[in-house]
Amino acid sequence: MVFGNKSENELISKAKKGDKQAFRSLYDEHIGRVYALCYRLTGEKGMAEDASQEVFIQLWKKLGNFDGQSQFSTWLHSVTANITISYMRKQKGWVQRMFNLENSGINEMPAEENSTDVDLEALVIRLPERARMVFVLHAIEGYRHEDIASMLNMAVGSSKAQFFRAKQLLKDFMGVDDE
Amino acid sequence: MSNFDDKLAQHISEISKEKQPERDLWRGIELGITSQQGDASQDDASQDDASSSTVTSKQWMAIAASVCLVTVLWFAAPFAFKADESRSDGYALIDAMSMQQQQQVNSLLASYESTTALTEDWQEQLKELDDAADVIKAALKDDPDNSALIKMLHHVYQQQIALIERVHAPKWQQI
Repeated sequence: MVFGNKSENELISKAKKGDKQAFRSLYDEHIGRVYALCYRLTGEKGMAEDASQEVFIQLWKKLGNFDGQSQFSTWLHSVTANITISYMRKQKGWVQRMFNLENSGINEMPAEENSTDVDLEALVIRLPERARMVFVLHAIEGYRHEDIASMLNMAVGSSKAQFFRAKQLLKDFMGVDDE
Repeated sequence: MSNFDDKLAQHISEISKEKQPERDLWRGIELGITSQQGDASQDDASQDDASSSTVTSKQWMAIAASVCLVTVLWFAAPFAFKADESRSDGYALIDAMSMQQQQQVNSLLASYESTTALTEDWQEQLKELDDAADVIKAALKDDPDNSALIKMLHHVYQQQIALIERVHAPKWQQI
């Protein structure tokens, strides 16, 4: 790891002053978490890679806004979620893509055998876009529905409904019967 | 909480917080931030000279010299490129662009030799743009036909010319 003995604060301070090597070290340290979130939100490797690049390019500009009041990783996570959502919106045909995915043949996908060895990430990627984004932000990242509603520009009730839908679909994917 | 919720919570707690991308993303990021630095340098110069739009007689001379140079290069390039056939046509174009840019910068600087610059750090800004161009050229060596990179290089070169012109245009000549 390039991180070495330098503290993160030192790297942040240097990167704020334009030190690209320090910024590279921050990239090496955080790319794993940034990419994981981008991948779970976008559901596509290529788009997640592009969004991750966008996050770090924007981060270079926005680093001055980080005041050290919170953990850098927490702040970066929030920046990543917002930039990725905004990146997805900017993509051509975002609404169309969303509409298509909402009607995609998710039910045709085979349900997992009722096994304990479940690849949750692979199942989450199979969710329709809105349900997936809400599920990732709420269940995996711990955001409140109020925050998600504001991030995704939807009503709080819609966020809760999408979360419920995501859980129902995951239940189907895992082959769990309704209790 | 139902059994399913418990199971789901357990799966979520086991999900890896990190995932590595399959390709190296740093190169694109570095290009992006270097390009941003170039834009910022030009913005700094523009702040000192926000209304500069006049082309002075010296600038006309510089432009005319550049046009002549392009014409000469246009005819000379095919012969020059034959000397090194191992390089792709794409990179030969980059070489020609860079050579033309250097000549244009040199002639502009010569024409402004007696003019005081409006900012003190313009040479530093010019160097940053040079660095940006070097990074893009390095990327073009591997991928000489990448039109996005060629456009980016062309943009950086335009910024260099604009920077030199703006910092040297006397205030009394500005509209």
